[in-house]
Order: sequence, then structure tokens, then C-alpha cells
Amino acid sequence: MSAETAASRNAGAPRQGKGWALLGSELSVLFRRLRTWAMLTALAAVPILIAVAVKLSSRPTTPGRGPLFLDRITQNGLFVAVTALVVCVPLFLPLTVGVVAGDTIAGEANLGTLRYLLLAPAGRIRLLLVKYAGAVAFCCAATATVTASGALAGVVLFPVGPVTLLSGDTISVGESAWRSLLIAAYITVSLLGLSAIGLLISTFTDVPVGAMAATIVFSVVSQVLDNLPQLEWLHPWLFSHHWLGFADLLRQPVSWTSFGDNAILQAGYIAVCGALAYAKFSNKDVLS
Amino acid sequence: MWWSVALARTKQRWLPALVIPFALAMAVLFGSVQAGATVSLPPRTADEILAMIARTEVRALSGTVQQTAELGLPEVPTAGPGIAPGAASALELLTGSHTARVYVDGPLKARLQIMDRMAERDVVLNGGDAWFYNSADNSATHLTAPAPSVADVRESLPAKPGPDAPSDMPVREIPTPESMASHFLAAIDDSTEVSVGESSSVAGRSAYRLSLHPRSTETLVDSIAIDVDSETGVPLGVEVRAKGQAEPAYSLAFTELDLSTPDAALFEFTPPPGATVTETAVPAKPVPTMPAPEDAPTLRHPVITGAGWDSVIALPAGSAPAELTSNPQLSQALQPVAGGRAVTTSLMSVLILDDGRVYAGMVPLERLQSAAAQ
Amino acid sequence: MKEPVRSDPAIETHGLVKRFGHRSAVDGIDLAVPRGTVFGFLGPNGSGKTTTIRVLLGLASANSGDISVLGKAMPQALASVLPDVGALVEGPGFYPFLSGTGNLMRLDAADRHAPSSTRRHRVDDALERVGLSHAAGKKVRAYSLGMKQRLGLANALLRPRELLVLDEPTNGLDPQGTREVRSLVRSLAAGGTTVFVSSHLLAEVEQMCTHVGVMSAGRLVAQGPLDELRAAGQAHVLVHTPDVERAAHVLSRLGLVPGDAPGTGSPWGTTAVLGTGLDGLEPEAIVAALVADGVRVRGFTVENASLEERFVSLTGEGFDVVG
Ligand SMILES: Nc1ncnc2c1ncn2[C@@H]1O[C@H](COP(=O)(O)OP(=O)(O)OP(=O)(O)O)[C@@H](O)[C@H]1O
Ligand SMILES: [Mg+2]
Repeated sequence: MSAETAASRNAGAPRQGKGWALLGSELSVLFRRLRTWAMLTALAAVPILIAVAVKLSSRPTTPGRGPLFLDRITQNGLFVAVTALVVCVPLFLPLTVGVVAGDTIAGEANLGTLRYLLLAPAGRIRLLLVKYAGAVAFCCAATATVTASGALAGVVLFPVGPVTLLSGDTISVGESAWRSLLIAAYITVSLLGLSAIGLLISTFTDVPVGAMAATIVFSVVSQVLDNLPQLEWLHPWLFSHHWLGFADLLRQPVSWTSFGDNAILQAGYIAVCGALAYAKFSNKDVLS
Repeated sequence: MWWSVALARTKQRWLPALVIPFALAMAVLFGSVQAGATVSLPPRTADEILAMIARTEVRALSGTVQQTAELGLPEVPTAGPGIAPGAASALELLTGSHTARVYVDGPLKARLQIMDRMAERDVVLNGGDAWFYNSADNSATHLTAPAPSVADVRESLPAKPGPDAPSDMPVREIPTPESMASHFLAAIDDSTEVSVGESSSVAGRSAYRLSLHPRSTETLVDSIAIDVDSETGVPLGVEVRAKGQAEPAYSLAFTELDLSTPDAALFEFTPPPGATVTETAVPAKPVPTMPAPEDAPTLRHPVITGAGWDSVIALPAGSAPAELTSNPQLSQALQPVAGGRAVTTSLMSVLILDDGRVYAGMVPLERLQSAAAQ
Repeated sequence: MKEPVRSDPAIETHGLVKRFGHRSAVDGIDLAVPRGTVFGFLGPNGSGKTTTIRVLLGLASANSGDISVLGKAMPQALASVLPDVGALVEGPGFYPFLSGTGNLMRLDAADRHAPSSTRRHRVDDALERVGLSHAAGKKVRAYSLGMKQRLGLANALLRPRELLVLDEPTNGLDPQGTREVRSLVRSLAAGGTTVFVSSHLLAEVEQMCTHVGVMSAGRLVAQGPLDELRAAGQAHVLVHTPDVERAAHVLSRLGLVPGDAPGTGSPWGTTAVLGTGLDGLEPEAIVAALVADGVRVRGFTVENASLEERFVSLTGEGFDVVG
């Protein structure tokens, strides 16, 4: 009887969990996807390519030409990770993050799983939070992949020794590993605003490719605007404004200003885009 | 009614979308109002504030200074992502915004770090040693001189050598608000009216504001404001306004300031492995390419006509360095005028005649031309 | 604890309207689905069945009207009602890169009240019930249409439910699957679960449902117990005879309306005559009258009104979708 089923549910099933299971399931779905692994592999290939190219090239790199620290890789393999991050920040990382963040809601809608998640019921706010958490996890994984693969390629192909900072001071290998982690953290934080934008766009459409493309276009436009001196007043408000500011972590002593400014800016984007995404998604008719 | 309930629900859901951006906008507005808010301090006369500056006992500090120049010079392309900043010319420091960290411990130990995008230029002074380091090309220059003072070395910073800038071309680096202020304060005479403005907050410290107004109507300078820390008398910021320009033409101020003694290790500089090191025994007095009034003492055989704010500095024929016109970025800033070329900024003018004579001053170009015609 | 018999409907709506732009997909329907029934929700393509279900389950918001599901106002009580509702809405939706088990585990994890300790067990159970145990480890990408449909049903059955909302559950299923679904629905209904099935397969509905609602162009044109709805239609007689004209003459004399019978004839190669309007006439009296007039009666059937006729009379003959 219906009374019976209801009773057995209440008695037999302890109402447990704050719903961490959904987060776990989201992460496992994200990281079991072939697409996610393909993107992480591509990111891991960037530092390896750089390291191999530098290793094979007979011409010494001119200082001041090419990406930051490119000329120093031959002397110290620990610079591979930083050079790779400099190369990845403007395009590759936003590209992959755009794919994941743009896919959050629109991808589920496209598969038809969005309605079943909502009917489970996952709860719209909870689903939005879990989806964002998934995108954040990917940001962490992406920067960690570039850093780790860069460190590995550098250690394997080049000599390793004390690292010269931008200020001209030298730090030990251990300290440099700590700084690399800080840079990875900085870049992860940098990508949080873009993830929030992707999440917001994703609530507006059922076509994941559209949301991904729009998110990536946003990141490119933001960087282009950031380079137009005519729009100087706008620059501090662009989410990509501090993206390359992680160089401040390579000064002696560490300058935390960029880190703080960046974190505040990204938090602002998260708050605004999150609020808009919440409003849009909680009012959305799920018709997919 | 069902529809009013539905409407209320819809509104409720859109509420955070409105409230959060609104709250953030208010926070930003409030923050900027707060930053510019006046603070109440016991009133002081201009002389008392000047005495405070003279008496200041601050010998050590670490802080961050921000320099902003709105001189009306063409913007020089600065370093973009992945581009080494060495390519930017000497003009770069006179346009836009620059941030530097300053560490000072007594008169003999100082370190200046100009924080370029993805690069850094360092000046480390420690007793008789002076190191200049440029991360863009990993080059270091070592000067050994009989105990140069901070101010001396500041005058003779080497350029950031790059493909476009010859390595011996000197550049004026970012000075501290303190040294800038002392320049202007030293020039106070009858031609300047000194008053006390509204006190404000600079780098989180309350500060008196000293205003210098040129009595002359000829000069381009409208006013100069110096913010003086109410506690210690250290100048915290300098702001130069040009006539007919809303934003300050030049400002230099601490954004962060800590008066404790910096870590001694900061002043110990060893050139990193792999760096190209140049050893120089005696610092050569450089010829500045951008003569400014405060450069006057370092110029070769300058002739000064006029007095106070209206003075014009004249250099004899042959003074203009050849790079001035061959450097594409510099020549971009030069406009052709009758008999030569000129640089006009909102604060000063420079006239370079074809015969190599150079006239400069914080006056309109016409005054330089009439001085040259005499 | 003895629970009082719930007399309130499992689903109830008043003046429910859902518009897409200016067009009303659902135009003021008053639905009442009693508890414990198997309710067939009928209607031609595009009549608004799926849209109604979406609004009932809070996937889409109504433009106006009141909804209550399991006695609670929707969509306010969504979070407390949905755990007791299993649903299949407009076909299954799954992650093609996960296995059948993986998909169900994920959807079950989405419900924060679903105990994780029994998750695996419940998933296996549900797969067993829809006959997918052997394909449980296969990626859904490799599932056939019917297998996906079965997986969708399994998702609805993950936990004990008070209400099942199934939108065209037998779509794409083989005959065994269809039968399986039918018996599943019956057994669930026997266990006290209310089942709300939308379909346009009338035969299926006739076999499965106790109650029926008929949608047409966004309006609910009829609802009630299946028998009542059928009774409103007319019974008719089917005569197999080579003497068609004479039979028709006799039938019309008796007050029946003769017409062409559907189909191409009887096994004896005769043509049938259909008479409708069997009011108070005994069938044997009709046969007697026919035989008395020399009509060679080779077969005689009395047919009750079919749901199909009732359906067509309610929703119109036209084949074109009302758009
Ligand atoms: N997302 C949408 N946007 C606009 N109109 C829609 C949308 N979904 C459905 N409609 C319209 O609403 C009406 C009802 O559609 P619905 O899907 O509810 O029909 P249905 O009864 O389920 O049909 P079927 O038997 O084919 O499944 C149709 O006229 C359809 O065109
Ligand atoms: Mg449908």
C-alpha cells in the first residue's frame, strides 16, 4: 500500500547525507569522460612540446624573445612549468575551461539528463552549485596538469638547480616547488570567474557547443579589450585583467597584491554570474 | 490570487540577480568614496608641516609606490603577454602607470623594484655597491663607487637595454614620493604660494596636504600637492596638476607603507647564474634624453633664463643626442616645428632645434621658441 | 500505525494553463487522478500531454492554475513530493558514456534522501525488474531504443514510489517488453501505487487502465473511469451475410442504422452490415428478424463501443496535428 511504501522509506532509509553523493557523482562523471582526459592530455602536451623543442633546437634562445623564461629552460628545467603556464594562460586553459563550464547545464539539457536530475530531485540550486564545483575541480586539474607535466619534462630533459626570480634573487629547488604551487593556485583562481560566466551562459541554452563557444569568445574578447589602451577605465573590471599577474609570485619578497586583487575580482564575477545563473535557472522551463 | 503568488515567486527568484550586483556596485562606490574621504586632523599651518617634513625621523621603510603620468605623450606599446618588456623605450616610464616597491634602511641601503608585467627592474644599493638588474634580458650591472647616496644613484640608473634602446641610454626611474617632494620643496621661493589643503588618507595613513601654487601665470603647472604623513612627517604622495587638465598630470604616491626595517637579505644582491654582468667602477654622469627641470644640475653647461616656474633651460648646440631622432619610438613623440622639433606635454615643453640646441621648461612651447629666437 | 485511507486525488489541477509564447499548449485543464488508479492520459500528437506532465512535475512553470500532487501544492512542495514520484518524461535521457548501472547510480545520487548504503542493491533490483540485468554493464551508447526505454523505466522504479508518471512507457518496446510493462504497471497498481500513463496506444490503455483522461488541442475533453467512458459510446451488431441489401433493409426496419462494416469481409466471403443504435433490442430478436426475412446469416456479433471510436469522436477525425 502507499502508506506502507511511504512508511518503509521513512523507517528503513535513514535520511542521510547533505547530498555529497551528487558532488562525488558529478566529479566521477566529469573525470570518467573521454573528453576530459583528452583535454588534460592536450594540456600536458604543451610543456612537453616546449621542453622537447628547446632541447632539440641548436640555436640558443635570445633573452627577451618568446615567452617568459624560454631562454632559461636550458640552464634550469624548473622553468619549463612556468613557461608552459605563461603559454597556456591566454588560450589553452580558457579553451578547456570554457568547454567544461559551458557544458555544465546545457550539456545535461542536451542529453536529456537534466530533467531526470531535477526529478530525482537534485534541487535546482544544489545542482547549480555542484555543477560549478565540478568546473572548479576541472580548473584545478587543468593547472595542476600543466604544472606537473612541466616539472616532469624539465627534470627529465634539463639540469635542475636553484631558480632565479624576476628580482634577480635565487631560491632553492624546494622553495621553487612551493612557488610553482602558488602559481598553479593563482591561475586556478584566475579561471574561476570564467567558469562562472560559462555556468551562466550554460543556463541560457540547451546547446552545449553554443555555450562553450560563447564562453571561449568571452575570454578572448576580455583579453583583447584588456590590451586596448583606449579602454583603460574598463581594464580593472575585466576578468582576465590579472591573468598574467602571477609573475608577482616570482618576485622577492612575494608580492601578494595581484593575488588579492585577482581573488577579489574573481569573487565578484562569481557572485554576479552566480546570482544571475541562479535567477535564470530557478525560473527556467526545462523542456529539453 | 494564483497569479500574484506566481508573480511574487518569480520576482523572488530574480531578486538575488538584482540584489547581489547592486550590493557589489554599492560596495565599490562606497569603497571609492571612502578612499577619497577627508580625515579630520588637528589643524597645522604650512610652516608646521614643512617643519614636520624636515624633522622626520623615518630612516627605514618598505612600501609600494604607484606612479601615474598623464602628460599627453603618445602611449608607448608596453609589454604584452609573452613579450619581453625590454623593447619599450625610455618614454615608457613617462606614460601610463607604473608600480614599484621600495625598501629603504638608512641612507646606505635601499632597493627599488620596478614591477613590469612579467618582468622586473631592480636597483640594489648597499654601501659602496650598487647593482642594477633587469630580468627581461637577465643582465646585471655592478657599480662600485665611494659610498654613493641613494639620490646619486637614482640619478644615474642605466636604461633597460633592448633592441631599440642603446644600453648606455639613461632613463629616469621611479623615485620615491619623498625624493620628489624634496625637489619641489627645495624650489619653494617667492614665486610659490604655499597653503594647507584638506587632509586625506594615503596608503591607509592620515596625511596633511601641502599645496604649492605657482604665482606665475606663464607656467604650465597649475598646482602641486604633497601629502605628508600626520604621524611621522614622511611625504606619502606628490601630485602635479597641469593647467586645463582635470586629471593630475603626474602623481606618485605610496599605496602601501610599512615603517619597520626591511629584511637585511633584501640588500644583499648576488647576480644570478647565467646573467650577463657588467662591472663599472665609476658611475658616468649620464645625459638625460628627457630633460626635466629637476635634471638641471646634471646637465652640461646649461643656461637658465627666467626665474622660478617660468625658467627656461637652454643647452648649447650639439647637445641633442643622435638617438633622439633615430629612435622610432622617440621620434614618434616629436612633432616638427619651425626650425626643429618639439615635444609638448601637459607639464613641460622641449624644443630641439636643427642645429642641436635644446630648450626646455615647464612653460608652453611658444615661450621656448621666443627664448630660442633671442 | 494505521494510515487513514487517502481520499484526496493523487494529482489534481484547476484551470491549469501553460503557454508557449501566445499559443496555449495546455489550456485550462481540471485533472483529477484518484489514488490507487491506473490513469490513462490520452490525446493525439501535440495535444499537450507531455507539457501537462512537465508542469505537474515542476520542470516547467504554469502560467496559471493550481496543482496538487500527492496532496501537496506544487511547485512549492516539489522537494518533498518528488522523492515519492517516479517518472519517465518524453523518453529516456542518459549519459551515453556511462553504463546502465552507472547512469542509475548517478541519478540516484542526485536524490539527497536516497540512502547510499542500499544504492547498489536498489539499482540492481530496478535493472532486474525491467529485464536489463545482462546489459547492466554495457555503455548506454550501445543500447537499443527499447533498452534505453527500459532503463528509463528502471530509473522510475529505483525507489518505492507512491506515484508513477510514465510518458509513453511502451514506446520502442518489443511485444514482450510491452507485455512486461503492462504486468509491471498492474502489479505496481496492486501494491497501491498510482500510475499515470500517457499514451496514444488505445489498445494498451484499454488493457492497462482503470481511468482515462482525453486531451485534445490542450483541453481535457473527457475524464473518468474507463467503463463509464466506453459506455458513453454505442454498441453495434456485425452481420456476416451474402445478402447485404436485404439485411440492411431489415436492420433499418428495426430502427438500427446500417452502414459499411470495417474490414474486407468475413471468412466466408460475405459482406457484413453494421447496425448502430442498439437501444433496448435483444440481439436474438434481431437474428430472428433477419432469418425470418430470408437473410442467410453466416455470422453475428454484438460489439460493445470501442475506446477508439470514443477517442476519435472526442478528438476529431482529422489526421493533421492541431498546431
Ligand atoms: N519547447 C516548446 N516550445 C514551444 N512549443 C512547444 C514546446 N514543446 C511543446 N510545444 C507545443 O505544445 C503543444 C503540446 O506539446 P506536447 O509535447 O505536450 O504534446 P504531446 O501531447 O506530448 O504530443 P505527443 O503525443 O506527440 O508526445 C504542441 O503544440 C507543441 O507544438
Ligand atoms: Mg509527448
